[in-house]
Amino acid sequence: MDRKEGKRLKSHFVGLRVSEEQKSALSKLQKASGLGKTHLLLKGLEMLGEYYSLGLDQPHLSLALKELEVEALRHAEAIKQISQKGLAIKLIVQELRGIDAIVEKYKGDKSQLIHILLDVQKKNRWLPKLALMWVSEKLEIPLAQVYTIASFYKAFSLVPRGEHLIRLCMGTSCKVRGVPIILDRVQSLLGVKRGETTPDGMFTLESVNCLGCCALGPMMTVDGEYYGDLKPLDVKKILSRYK
Amino acid sequence: MKTFNRISSPEYLEKLRQEIKAKREPRKPSVSICVSTGCIALGARRVTKAFMDELEKQGLKDKVEIKETGCLGFCEQGPRVTIYPEEICYLKVKPEDVPEIVSKTILEKQVVERLLYKDHTTNRSMQKLEDIPFYKYQLRLLLENNAKIDPKNIEDYIALGGYSALAKVLFKMAPKQVIEEIKKANLRGRGGGGFPTALKWETTQNAPEEPKYVIVNCDAGDPGAFMDRSLMEGNPHSVLEGLIIGAYAIGAREGYVYVREEYPVAAETITLAIRQAEDYGLLGDNIMGSSLNLRVKVQRGAGAFVSGESSALMTSIEGKVGEPRPKYVHTAVKGIWNKPSCLNNVKTWACVPVIILRGADWFRNIGTKDSSGTMIFSLVGKVMNTGLVEVPMGITLRDLIFKVGGGIRHDKKFKAVQTGGPSGGFIPEQYLDTPVDFEELVKVGSMMGSGGMVVMDEDTCMVDSARYFVDFLLEESCGKCAPCREGLKELSRTLSDICEGKGKDEDIQSIMDICEVMKEASLCALGRTAVNPVFTSLKYFREEWEQHIKEKKCQAKVCKALINYYIDPQMCQACMLCLRECPAEAIQGSKGQVHWIDQEECIKCATCFELCNFHAVKKLSGEPVPPPPPKGMNPIRKPKRGN
Repeated sequence: MDRKEGKRLKSHFVGLRVSEEQKSALSKLQKASGLGKTHLLLKGLEMLGEYYSLGLDQPHLSLALKELEVEALRHAEAIKQISQKGLAIKLIVQELRGIDAIVEKYKGDKSQLIHILLDVQKKNRWLPKLALMWVSEKLEIPLAQVYTIASFYKAFSLVPRGEHLIRLCMGTSCKVRGVPIILDRVQSLLGVKRGETTPDGMFTLESVNCLGCCALGPMMTVDGEYYGDLKPLDVKKILSRYK
Repeated sequence: MKTFNRISSPEYLEKLRQEIKAKREPRKPSVSICVSTGCIALGARRVTKAFMDELEKQGLKDKVEIKETGCLGFCEQGPRVTIYPEEICYLKVKPEDVPEIVSKTILEKQVVERLLYKDHTTNRSMQKLEDIPFYKYQLRLLLENNAKIDPKNIEDYIALGGYSALAKVLFKMAPKQVIEEIKKANLRGRGGGGFPTALKWETTQNAPEEPKYVIVNCDAGDPGAFMDRSLMEGNPHSVLEGLIIGAYAIGAREGYVYVREEYPVAAETITLAIRQAEDYGLLGDNIMGSSLNLRVKVQRGAGAFVSGESSALMTSIEGKVGEPRPKYVHTAVKGIWNKPSCLNNVKTWACVPVIILRGADWFRNIGTKDSSGTMIFSLVGKVMNTGLVEVPMGITLRDLIFKVGGGIRHDKKFKAVQTGGPSGGFIPEQYLDTPVDFEELVKVGSMMGSGGMVVMDEDTCMVDSARYFVDFLLEESCGKCAPCREGLKELSRTLSDICEGKGKDEDIQSIMDICEVMKEASLCALGRTAVNPVFTSLKYFREEWEQHIKEKKCQAKVCKALINYYIDPQMCQACMLCLRECPAEAIQGSKGQVHWIDQEECIKCATCFELCNFHAVKKLSGEPVPPPPPKGMNPIRKPKRGN
């Protein structure tokens, strides 16, 4: 951006540096904003979306918004049909509003962090960075602490999970009844190891310690659907139902 | 909105109970279907749906009641359906069987023979649950009501006398008396350690700080034990009633139920139960018209084994990382948010109303001198009848495995039974006559634990099993203290070497040394007891370890690196099945020509072994693989049956 343009953009609008005309256009959209820190950030993000939709580019962003813009681009990339950054950002706002609702459900209680993360994960299948940032912001818990929780507990995933989640029980009973062979079979069929997702994003393979169905082992669940007394040859048939 | 009967006095509870009973018609046919996780896995929901559709179709919707109940323990034979009032118990019911059950059993009062339990030794089929050997030796204090109760309906529990123990406690007993009663009954913690429950309660009661908390631990699920889940899913109000009584005795005003993440159904059930109890005035302010106030919240875990440990569980409830902390001051005095917290296992809480109602003396008479009452075991692994069994303490392992469990599957030889999960040990055949109670199991190097009982047969490798537990704990160790974190890592590495045929003579000694240190120096029980599986495996099955190290042989033929697959040319029928399915394309031969495995290519995935209809594929260990058969060898055809 050259100096001249920098001079032109002297007005500020929730973290964005804009020109006078742009500011007035954006101000019209601001009416509902101005409620606390997180709301303002959310509003700012919405503005950013509008800003892009208005055909403007290369804004000077506040640090927080810059972080969010990176996330927006990732998002736009992930859902290929969206070519416009503006739309992508609006989608993010929608997502964050969803997290707001979850936090609201637990009345913003800090001790409910695990529950909140479980619920967020239920919606997304995994925990995107943006979601963790937002939870940290809303609950006023340091981001590092949110990450500690998200990485300690096995139920959480910090990388995208596939469309279908396979959980194979590695409990003692299942082990005695031959789950290692089933695991080999699933791994060779999908071509991924434990904890990985297939390249086509269809399946994620995870192992759990005990599904509590010890009398029926070897046991696995696909998207919460239980399959017991598995034989190595059953696996192919079961997986083909999800393709 | 529905109005609820807020129970404002013990008299009102009785009145309500009579009302509920009066509403029910005992002669009305009813279908009870088990919908706990095990039976759901086997398709119980589809069976329920089929019953609903069929009753609708036959115009019987109002004449027959469908009840979704909890687990009866015989999971292997699920889905289980019981038809009342005749109490006919059908096992392994499929949706296709439903029309027949409706028209034959419900309408014509005839029994569908093929769906009954058939004893494999006598070949007799049995109608009633109590006749089945699996149940004959059991004493079901806690699990008994699971089949009679719809866990989603508090009225079912009340109708069976529920919450009368609470009424007795609130209006006829002082808190001290309650604790005295529990002490007299000698109730001990069912979660593993066997710590006297009354002592724990007393400590929390006497702790100076307020508020005090009571907590239900539904996370102590060792792999291989699922009784907590079953109780929670089948009879949540019995746990709640125990918890409320405990809160009264201790003086707690807040309670938590901690449910592990892998048990979604249990979490759902208990949440609903709490809401119903609140609606009926059994939780909240002025419980049953008394001055007791108690609020209970459900807390879900997020998948961490160490969080079953009491201090770790409490930090997890605070929304932090579930790591244990040193317990110089017990959690009973400084627990959640450093306030006195009394944590008991699901089964321990569920025992409380039973003791209050039937009396401490009665409870004490069950079981052994130092371990009274019953214990629920999950009898699983290579045993014939797998499932949940509730037996009086003091039953011998032999009775448990061979009488209740019906012996070992496929006529294999018994090798060991593993109790207590990753903190317990393996118990070999010579100790099968050990009576099962808290002390006796410790004497043979294991422990009661949560009640997991995994039976292993000759096809189980003891070195591999020890490695399994070490690897399990390695993954679950929180990493806070060095002996546990580093010790497990080293144990895992050495054990892997042994299993992969790279074991050295000095390995056994170094394993013993590491175990010694871990046992003495670890911060919490996870590390201190982690050595039990290794110790017991070494102590009782040393020759198997030495075979692995010296002869590179795995007698159970489990350790992949030490076995080879081999097709017996005398038995191969050249059917092409394994040849086609082999993922490594390691099997050579053709139609009409005996197959053989190229050992270089074989990835030992066991596909051919599982597939072969003629048992021609063998596992070899510690012996050379015979050379492939001469090219073009024709199969030796087996004579067809009847010839």
